Amino acid sequence: MTLRRKLLLVALCTLVLPLAGWLYVRQMESLLRDGQAQALSASARALARTLAVLDTDLPSARGGWYVQDTAVPITVDGYGDDWATLTPWSQSLPGNAKLMLAREGDWLYLFIDVRTAHRTRPDVFDNAARRADHVTLLLGRGVEQRRYLIASDAPGAVTATSIDEAAGNLPAQLQAQWQEDGSGYRVELRIPASVTLDRLGVGVYSAAAGGDPVAQETRPLMGFSPSTSAELGRLAPPEVRVRLLAPGAWLLAQHGRLGLTDLPPAKRPGWFASLVYASLLSRRLDPAAEWAEDAPRVDLPEVRQALGGAPAVAWRAGQSRGSVVLSAAMPVDVEGSVRGVVLLEQANRDVPLLANRALLGLFIISFLALLVAGGVLLAFATRLTLRLRRLRDAAELAQQNDGRLDGRFPLTDASDELGDLARSFDQLLQVVGGYTDYLRTLASKLSHELNTPLAIVKSSLDNLEQAALPPEAGPYLARARDGVARLGTLVRAMSEASRMERAIAAAEAEDVDLAAVVGGCAAAYRGLAGDRSVECVLPEGPLRMHAAPELLAQALDKLFDNALSFTPPGGWLRVSLREVPDGAQIEVANQGPPLPEAMQGRLFDSLVSLRDRATPGDAPHLGLGLYVVRLVAERHDGSASAHNLADGSGVAFVLHVRPMTRHRL
Amino acid sequence: MARSIAIVEDEPLIRANYVEALNRFGYEARGYGSRGDASTAFAMRLPELVIIDIGLGDEPEGGFDLCRELRAKSATLPIIFLTARDSDFDVISGLRLGADDYLSKDTSLHQLAARIAALFRRIESLKAPASSETVVSHGPLKLESERMRVTWNGIEIPLTVTEFWMVHTLVRFPGHVKNRDQLMREAELVVDDATITSHIKRIRKKFIALAPDFDAIETVHGVGYRWHP
Repeated sequence: MTLRRKLLLVALCTLVLPLAGWLYVRQMESLLRDGQAQALSASARALARTLAVLDTDLPSARGGWYVQDTAVPITVDGYGDDWATLTPWSQSLPGNAKLMLAREGDWLYLFIDVRTAHRTRPDVFDNAARRADHVTLLLGRGVEQRRYLIASDAPGAVTATSIDEAAGNLPAQLQAQWQEDGSGYRVELRIPASVTLDRLGVGVYSAAAGGDPVAQETRPLMGFSPSTSAELGRLAPPEVRVRLLAPGAWLLAQHGRLGLTDLPPAKRPGWFASLVYASLLSRRLDPAAEWAEDAPRVDLPEVRQALGGAPAVAWRAGQSRGSVVLSAAMPVDVEGSVRGVVLLEQANRDVPLLANRALLGLFIISFLALLVAGGVLLAFATRLTLRLRRLRDAAELAQQNDGRLDGRFPLTDASDELGDLARSFDQLLQVVGGYTDYLRTLASKLSHELNTPLAIVKSSLDNLEQAALPPEAGPYLARARDGVARLGTLVRAMSEASRMERAIAAAEAEDVDLAAVVGGCAAAYRGLAGDRSVECVLPEGPLRMHAAPELLAQALDKLFDNALSFTPPGGWLRVSLREVPDGAQIEVANQGPPLPEAMQGRLFDSLVSLRDRATPGDAPHLGLGLYVVRLVAERHDGSASAHNLADGSGVAFVLHVRPMTRHRL
Repeated sequence: MARSIAIVEDEPLIRANYVEALNRFGYEARGYGSRGDASTAFAMRLPELVIIDIGLGDEPEGGFDLCRELRAKSATLPIIFLTARDSDFDVISGLRLGADDYLSKDTSLHQLAARIAALFRRIESLKAPASSETVVSHGPLKLESERMRVTWNGIEIPLTVTEFWMVHTLVRFPGHVKNRDQLMREAELVVDDATITSHIKRIRKKFIALAPDFDAIETVHGVGYRWHP
């Protein structure tokens, strides 16, 4: 991974910024909402206290029978068709029966639906009717109360007679309609509103189930009260819908509407803002409780919680799109018992403008910050990379050039760590360069210094030969002479590089036929090759070039000498000359072991040798031969290279030369 | 009377060896350790041949200076340079100053003696009239082996002893290729191939300087040289 990519990755750290901002805005939004909820909750509490103190007409904690208001006229016929709109809010009775009460005009209607599989039919005038399936009703007002028994052996009108003594103006009989089918029976009747009741008891007796034939479930009556609603209206805070609910979540009173003043279109949040808000900020809302809007029973979770005695707050989606409803339910506590619940509801916009604007700002700013940070880091990384590349290129160049660099090392003036690095490199190169120069000149210096003592020994030996020596000294003298000769060869070899450098620099070019030079050399080599075969491949015609033939012949000598020493006995050598577009290529190939990969680039350096230790008596190998070849190639503006043959059978050394520039005298 | 030879050499052991050897060969050799000593002695009496080491004590080129002084005194005094430095630059500088030969210290005393003898022989023969038997003529080339003189179209080519011997070797069998070993042997010289090459180059230059169309010495690459008539 490049430095630039890494720094770009690091730049991604700035993404923490929008994240932190998002969390902050979310928290802010949450705080705002909490504040709103608390305010509404406080209003609800105040309202609940007020209601408790004012001793508003509230049902008992046990609850009561709820009388619904209906606009639909009801016909007493024993069929439930005209009760259809009220059916969802029917109240259960013991004995698998349902009770519905409705007020319409001057009448209180009553509808009882009993589900039973076993019918036991009675005779009304028979005392045994009490032993058959029947319904008992209890009407009560204050201390007065009267019970009625309704039973029938067939569908149709039925007269319910009182089974108690007369009490007040409670009627002696009630006219009812009885209808039945296979799954049960229904009883429908009506009581004039003039008979003001405050409680009602209903009992359903099934002969098959048994039990007390005259037991009733007696509860006070309750219903929607316009007067209480008006009272609530006076107490309620503005722009809030307030509802008073009885135990069982029955609606007793209501005031206000869930209105939401529309914003002008310009200020309305767009779809994008809504989407951003919905996906990033908003908390999960309860689904809209549409059925609870105009129902007599508001059975919401927060209401149930409040009926349990604990205040509750809930956010839910509103009826109209883009609105949310905050509702706070507060129990109305009278003398330690929950007598009802005050439910305050407030409509809100689902995208609070403040939060939205803050969020949008945050996004724009953090995006810009990200862009700027990324750009700055990229630019910085690019510059860093460029500088590092310059450093690397210079180091590589110096390495290829034996540790020497033309001109100054780059970046040494920089004051930062890269500058330090460059200076260290520079010093290192100077040390290496000094060392290389020392090595380069060591051999010739050494050979120069060795020449004088060598001359002393040699001349002394010459003189010794003339002296009167015992005959047995002869062999020793010969050995000493041999050793001195070998030492002389060694010393000459050591200074060869510097002598060659001078000779090569002083060499003069002439127009020469390279084919003749290479051919002549190859012919001469045949005599040196022994049992190894020497092949010579030359171009058809002469290859004339402005070159220094002595130098080329010398380079060829070195190449051949090198190739010969690596060729196994009986192997082959090949000297070839090729014309190439910008000059000529002289190649010396031989059978033999391949070159190690690592050495291929360094073979032509000074003092590099691949040979094993020279066998005693051989001329020493100081690794100068191929260096001379390189110098010759460079003198001819060309290059020297070595490679293994493609078939792996041997090695080829290639001397690529170009015509030398002509100097006019 | 024995011929007098002066050896100017700062290394006492070598000087002693040379002086003793030359004395044994029958010359009257004297050694001098510095340019000053030599100059003082030469002011009183000039020897018949001088062997000079180029580097003299603290003066790396003291030998050249001494050679210049001697040439000023005598144009014909044979001078041989002897040095540990065998670079081509030194060779050329020495010869421009008019040295008669140039030898590395590798050279054996026997080879040195051969040169000294040749130089004295030349001096002798220059005094006597030219004997026609020893003259080899080859086209424009005329080679007098006794006098060690080479002329081309009648113009004398100033060759050193070593160079003369090389040319002589080539010219004796025109058209025959002489390899470097042969040339070395004939020229009483033990040097490496590159030095032979530079000797041949210098010979060519000396001819070309006086006869620009000279191309009689032909290189046979990889083998050697031949006189191309």
